[in-house]
Amino acid sequence: MMAADAIFVYVQELAEYEKLAEHVKVTQKDLEQDGFSKNPFFHGIIAEVPEQHKTKEGHTKIGYALYFYSYSSWSGRAIYMEDLYVMPEFRGKGVGKALMSKVAQLALAAGCHQLNFTVLDWNKPSMDFYLSQGSFDITASMGYHCMRCEGEALEHLAQP
Amino acid sequence: MNFKIRRAAKEDCKDISRMIMDLAIYEKMPDQVKISHEELERDGFCQNPLFECLVAEVPEEHKSNEGFTVIGYALYFYTYSTWKGRAVYLEDLYVMPEFRGNGIGTALLSKVAEIGKKKQCVRLQLSVLNWNTPSRDFYAAKGAQDLTVTEGWHAIRFDGQNLDNLANEAPKD
Repeated sequence: MMAADAIFVYVQELAEYEKLAEHVKVTQKDLEQDGFSKNPFFHGIIAEVPEQHKTKEGHTKIGYALYFYSYSSWSGRAIYMEDLYVMPEFRGKGVGKALMSKVAQLALAAGCHQLNFTVLDWNKPSMDFYLSQGSFDITASMGYHCMRCEGEALEHLAQP
Repeated sequence: MNFKIRRAAKEDCKDISRMIMDLAIYEKMPDQVKISHEELERDGFCQNPLFECLVAEVPEEHKSNEGFTVIGYALYFYTYSTWKGRAVYLEDLYVMPEFRGNGIGTALLSKVAEIGKKKQCVRLQLSVLNWNTPSRDFYAAKGAQDLTVTEGWHAIRFDGQNLDNLANEAPKD
């Protein structure tokens, strides 16, 4: 339960960074229900520092990665990393890399063949980071576009 | 045309595998298909399935030239948005060419949306290749937004040796 409140704070901070803060509709209660029940919709890992390195506000949980299992009809089980975030004052210390590597390790342990995620094209620090770690941009190289149906369009589509 | 949309059964996996390959050929990447009907049977029909699948079926008298009655499918799974909550991801949607134009693709897509809605999903997501104009038009007509164009989202992937290398760098527990 403690993890859900930390994740909730960081989800909002990450959304602020991505300039899309007004899009966050999920509540802490949703996260608790959806991530920490019998068949969770997602899994999370947290980066923690010892007491002596805590932030000005007193946080020791200073980063997180949130992921879930997905499926490729071409290669089977895969992992999708929904969020990767490290508090600004803890960046440049390998925390993001450690979180992402841990997700990759969990992916392989679960028999996954891909680790997928999305990045905003203007987010150069993140894009550079991911590409430097050996990932490739399948939108740029293969032409995949991410599509979404929600709100009224989804309601309309769901009519039997 | 008379057709039925139903949940896939384990026995449908050979047909689904056949159509997965057809779709990969259409997308010009047949060499990317690494799994067969055996993996689909194992992963989709176990205690905690990794995906769900619907198939479109026609009666015997409308079977395809090669004799198939299972002539379309939609393969999907549940995902999560930390901003909006539960979502459904449509991994594949396919109808055999000779059966297109009869509303089968729409029926499959709508059924996935309906199933998602019953599970309180607030989004349906998918990806399309930028040169695949018929599909892009189809989804746009259904109200889907292209987030790559409107918001700049790019899909990033680690696989093969790159994924192994990344995993090897994980901190020890």
